[in-house]
Amino acid sequence: MSAAIHANDMSGVGRIHIKNAAVSFNAPGRRTIEALAPTELVIDSGSFISLIGPSGCGKSTLLNAVGGFVPLSAGSIELDDEPVTGINPDVGVVFQQYALFPWFTALGNVMFALKRFKISKEERLSRAYAALKEVGLDGRESTYPGQLSGGMRQRVALARTFVTSPKVLLMDEPFGALDAQTRVVMHDILLRVWEAHKATVIFVTHDVDEALILSDKVHIMSSGPGRIIDTMEVAQERPRHIDALGEQFLKNRNHIIKLLRQPGAADH
Amino acid sequence: METQLKKFGQLLISLTGVVILWSLFANSGFISQDLFPTPGQVWAAAIELYQDGVLVSDLKVSLTRAAIGFSIGASLGILIGLLTARIKLISIALEPFLNLLRPIPAIALVPVAIVWFGIGEGSKYFVISYTVFLAVWLNTHAGASDVASTYIRAARSLGASKFREFFEVIIPASAPHIVVGLRLGAALAFLSLVAAELSGASSGIGFRLQDARQFMRTDRMFVGLIELGILGALLDAVFVFFSRRIVHWENA
Repeated sequence: MSAAIHANDMSGVGRIHIKNAAVSFNAPGRRTIEALAPTELVIDSGSFISLIGPSGCGKSTLLNAVGGFVPLSAGSIELDDEPVTGINPDVGVVFQQYALFPWFTALGNVMFALKRFKISKEERLSRAYAALKEVGLDGRESTYPGQLSGGMRQRVALARTFVTSPKVLLMDEPFGALDAQTRVVMHDILLRVWEAHKATVIFVTHDVDEALILSDKVHIMSSGPGRIIDTMEVAQERPRHIDALGEQFLKNRNHIIKLLRQPGAADH
Repeated sequence: METQLKKFGQLLISLTGVVILWSLFANSGFISQDLFPTPGQVWAAAIELYQDGVLVSDLKVSLTRAAIGFSIGASLGILIGLLTARIKLISIALEPFLNLLRPIPAIALVPVAIVWFGIGEGSKYFVISYTVFLAVWLNTHAGASDVASTYIRAARSLGASKFREFFEVIIPASAPHIVVGLRLGAALAFLSLVAAELSGASSGIGFRLQDARQFMRTDRMFVGLIELGILGALLDAVFVFFSRRIVHWENA
């Protein structure tokens, strides 16, 4: 499958309009810290975008605002023309830390997501089994997260989120803790599942290659206050393998690295 | 299996060593055997108590008291701990009061308990459940207030109701702390049981200790003390065995 297929699919659901949204936090000593300066951004339905930047650039804050986890101090965020007012099950989240419930098996974790639907237990079970199979975990259904590798845990998390077919998927550095080889595998699984479910994905990372391999668009962010400083469209067809990337990829890569290296753009 | 065998061997060596040293000391003549009986005398006293029937009946009475007091205290401790940790209003109303209760030792409650409930079973249950309650409440409260926010965010973003969030996330996430509280509570149940039985009881291991004092029967006292040691250690081992299975994900 290629990115072009998704370009035709953008009439669907999951369009996000971030309208001059800003987030500030109260810091000790009556100071307010502007974590996210007023930001304007439209994310097409079914597209895969990345937010990249140094820590403190507001990329996680923007993601959390879309998820309804942090309140806005100004502006608004709309999902399919409905304002985001809080946590919404239509917006799935794969967290940075493994947020699987260790007291449930892999299957139990996926079933947890399905319990809000009024469907029979058999239906629920068959959907949960199918979701685990989709991420290549068939045969591991009754394993507890503590007995799974980091990559497998994130696959369960992916299955748990995608099993309810959310309109939007938020991913906050989901593969940050994995080794390079496992990451490559996870990228393939993520893209395959995304292409099957057509959710809009917002992917936060600080890995330039990861952003360029996965996304339709990469938004580069900077700190003090957190804001988007540039946007890059990635037109290359998927799958984009790291060992067979053309000149365009290197150009994009160098451009982003240069931007992140600018004084004020990086805080470390 | 091999480590269990090792542990058993270690226990055997340690106990044999203690009994030998004890025997040497008691037979050395430094101290009267009326004050410090030999292992043989203590064993004979145990047989004597067994033949009288009181060894088993005391054990039954004491264990029943501990079990009932523990059950009452533990259920209340878990319930109130979850409530004070998760419901602001209840926490504001109860926490300061419970923090004032905490430094009051169980033994200080014995006289009040006897006035309120007489020297029967009621006062024992009261003192034991009070002690157990505080330990379980404190640990449950700590565990349930400290549930990782990622779990709660994950539960909510997966569309879980408040009810499911409480029963499927908050309770299991606090379970490791609750189990620690219960283990501590079980040990404390024994301490307060003896405290309650020493003053104002007509049966039980604590009563038998006090009774033996009246007749200077140190051998019988030693039987009581050893009984308490074995019971406590066994109970703790049983507890660890089950809690490993209940909160299995903690040891993964």
